Amino acid sequence: MPPKRLRQLWGKWALLILPLGLGLYILYPTYRAWTLENRKAALQASGDSVQLAEFDQLYGAALQNAKQNALKLGLDLRGGMYVTLEVDVVKLLEEAAEREAIDDLFRQVLEATRQEAERSDEPVLSIFLRHFDRIARPQGRSLISYYDVGDLREISEEKILERLQRNIDDAINQAQEVIRQRVDKYGVAEANIQKQGTRRLVLELPGVTNEAEMRQLLQTTARLEFKLVRNNEEAVRAFSAIDQYLKRQRSGQSHSLTPPDTLQAQPAAPDTLQSDTVRSTSDTTTDPYAGLSDEERQRRFKEDFPFTSLFVTYYIQNERFVPVDYRRGEFPEGEYFFQIPKANLAEFETILARPDVQRLIPAEYEVALSAKPDERLQRQGYEIYTLYVLKREPELTGDVITDARATFDPTTHAPIVLMDMNTEGAERWARITGANVGKKIAIVLDGRVYSAPVVQTKITGGRSQITGMSSVQEAHLLEIVLKAGALKAPVKIIEERIVGPSLGEDSIRRGLLASVVAFLLVVLFMVGYYTAGGAVAVFALLVNVVLILALLSAFKGTLTLPGIAGIILTMGMAVDANILIFERIREELRRGRSLRTAVDEGHKRALSAILDSNITTFITGLILYFFGTGPIQGFAITLMIGILTTLFTALIVARAFIEILMAYDIHLTYGLPRKWLVAPTS
Amino acid sequence: MEFFTKANIDFLGKRRVFLVLSLVFNIVGILVTAMFGLEYGIDFEGGTEIAVQIQPPPEVGEIRAAIGAAGFHGAEIKSYGRPNQFLIRVKESSGQTEPSTAILTALRERFQDRQLTLLKSDKVGPKIGAEMRLNAAIAVVISIVAILLYIAFRFEFIYGLGATVALVHDVIVAISAIAIVHHLGLLRIEVNQSVLAALLTVVGFSVNDTVIIFDRIRENRERHKGMNLIKLMNLSINETLSRTINTVLTVVLVLLALLILGGEVLQGFAFTMLVSILTGTYSSIYIASAFVIWFLEKVRKVDLEGEYRRLKELERQAAVQT
Repeated sequence: MPPKRLRQLWGKWALLILPLGLGLYILYPTYRAWTLENRKAALQASGDSVQLAEFDQLYGAALQNAKQNALKLGLDLRGGMYVTLEVDVVKLLEEAAEREAIDDLFRQVLEATRQEAERSDEPVLSIFLRHFDRIARPQGRSLISYYDVGDLREISEEKILERLQRNIDDAINQAQEVIRQRVDKYGVAEANIQKQGTRRLVLELPGVTNEAEMRQLLQTTARLEFKLVRNNEEAVRAFSAIDQYLKRQRSGQSHSLTPPDTLQAQPAAPDTLQSDTVRSTSDTTTDPYAGLSDEERQRRFKEDFPFTSLFVTYYIQNERFVPVDYRRGEFPEGEYFFQIPKANLAEFETILARPDVQRLIPAEYEVALSAKPDERLQRQGYEIYTLYVLKREPELTGDVITDARATFDPTTHAPIVLMDMNTEGAERWARITGANVGKKIAIVLDGRVYSAPVVQTKITGGRSQITGMSSVQEAHLLEIVLKAGALKAPVKIIEERIVGPSLGEDSIRRGLLASVVAFLLVVLFMVGYYTAGGAVAVFALLVNVVLILALLSAFKGTLTLPGIAGIILTMGMAVDANILIFERIREELRRGRSLRTAVDEGHKRALSAILDSNITTFITGLILYFFGTGPIQGFAITLMIGILTTLFTALIVARAFIEILMAYDIHLTYGLPRKWLVAPTS
Repeated sequence: MEFFTKANIDFLGKRRVFLVLSLVFNIVGILVTAMFGLEYGIDFEGGTEIAVQIQPPPEVGEIRAAIGAAGFHGAEIKSYGRPNQFLIRVKESSGQTEPSTAILTALRERFQDRQLTLLKSDKVGPKIGAEMRLNAAIAVVISIVAILLYIAFRFEFIYGLGATVALVHDVIVAISAIAIVHHLGLLRIEVNQSVLAALLTVVGFSVNDTVIIFDRIRENRERHKGMNLIKLMNLSINETLSRTINTVLTVVLVLLALLILGGEVLQGFAFTMLVSILTGTYSSIYIASAFVIWFLEKVRKVDLEGEYRRLKELERQAAVQT
């Protein structure tokens, strides 16, 4: 190979090799994830837990990493549940009404509305109004008879309608937040929850097949409560008791010990436990793990403190956070603070869920987690949740809240949330805040703590101001959460699709088989008809398919079954561009042109036809994308990506290949008899 | 290898016959579709549909009895791909308990001793179904208009119109073919989202052939200035014939692979595409170009045919002389 030519042709070689290389590089994680999953599945099937643990240790991180960058499969291929939820406006209108005021007349209006709303596209509120005017108004009722807006002075029908409309508009955000938390808690990996329009939520839940349980989870309304925070020495002592209990149990003595019923019921229990630990620490030197390797130290620590080693405990002393050492066993009175990294959450929750462990926690207490990791720490790349010990009995439930609004403090410009309560709530709120000045009250939705503000003063009049949010987003989230108290966001399932894992696997197998056969048929035809030229087209097609998959993977698109159909279709249509060029080259050759001119002319003249025909298909792809849903969008995307890659591979990659061949005096005949070839003049 | 080295077929000479034939075909197609009716999938109809695999497979009657006992009487039960797989569809999409759960529970009870696997379950509310129907119609209309505008912009307005007429023709043929095949029981094809996807793709693809022929016409008009349009179109169709046949062949090959091997879900898609690729090729020759000629003759009153006849006569005489 003369080096001179190589230097002239390096750009063309790059066009040949780079796209293919880049595509394969992008697809490598997909391949890696696939092989690792297979190995893991084989180990799981064999039931060898030792090897499985070893595999997890060796490849766990690699698998996780590969999966993150791998091509995502649609629900129709991997199995799972696809749900569309819609705000149940009729239910919302019912719940927003004063319970005592609801009578038969009102129920009639709601029923008529429900029936019409089933099929109509008209906004439900206007359907409701129409029926209200028809049924209830002649009987002397107005909206004011059923809805309470709080302030009596400014009450009017318009105000009520405005409020209802705002509630309807907010409902979907609220449902989204609640459902996201629940789905997270349920442990659905890679769940996707998206708003569609202003009333709908689309959920993609891979791997979920227990549809009844999931439905339940999605359709129950959330509960908002205010609970006192009890991060005190009693709580810490209970945690320490759990350590002791688990440790004893693990070292095989559990059968001889009965755990104390509750620490509350037996005040002596904590004392004995405490003296136990005090003795054990005094027996040893200051550091019981002295002289051990770091790893061993870790292991021993975890063995000795199976529960409290999962999180970090601080004692708050003069506003400073002092880490608590559970080995010392003495816990001063006062306020504590707990933080737990995300990685430990699963183990923490499993331990806590055990009924025998639950008995060690005072009956009036419960442990709750923050809804989100700490935002300040998250910015630094740590996912740390806060633990709260709460008084189980709520001080107040959210239905007394009439409104909540995120805004800014007029003087400090910090984000704040304003919260209004009804008269009854305001009275109780004043009592509660009055009795707990300087203490924290947690705002709990669905069992998760969204905020735990400190009570600054006794709040009378029902209007509270919550400060200390680290961002506008956080304030807005709190607003949504507080509104869940004022208003339940009832949702109903209007579309639900479940694909069992066996059908998904079957679809993948069939899709793969059809693709391979289709590809081979195209190869056979192209090489048979255009000989070496056909082989060039086949190479371009190969690059094309690799690029489609790579782009899909890079843009985080999902491959669906219709998407596979799109790729197969692209295989058939992609060679059209090559066919157009080759036919053009043949024509030019028949006219007696030299190969050089024929190749140039062929490419030049075929260009406009290729562009026009691909653009029309691209237009329909776009329209399909905007009007289709789920898997069909997957088809539209592969179709559009396929058109772009086809233009690139057929016009640029294949051309580069042909030019390289010509530079080495390898002259393709494009399936024409040799007689048509005029000796190259150059 | 070569199929057509010097094709010289007088495609457009018999265009009237084909135009009339296509028109008749379309009208019959519409009538037949109206008569047989299309079967909509639950995407467009609303309802609940579940697919199960029961091993060993029971009789369909047994399944019907089992879910009838659960209160679902009007259920449709069909085989689904394999002999031990069944598709059950009921109209209900809501109720006291979810229909899919109720049906599944009933089946699990009845066939306790057999192995039952849920393959898939779809529930579509009536409102969503209606919305999807509307969206589908809008999508088809918008894409046809978009194509019309694009072709009109790239070529001339009458060419855009010709392409659009050919397009509508293809869509009608595809829909009638679905109705007929489904009615005769050759393939179980119901109109669902993937069939819609196929129809829209057809709108894009069937215009492909038309565009390529039009492109050649545009080029030849420059090269052979003043040539009779019918002759010019014939020439262009003949010049691109080899490409047309080869492309159609490759696409037909891959679609056959998809139809035979792709499984139940993609059958409707593959079939619709296959029919439309073939009619798309036909219509790009006999409808799109023929329509342009018809339009010029009838609306613009250009006597293309008479000129063409005279030219052919001259050619014949020239051939006799040599």
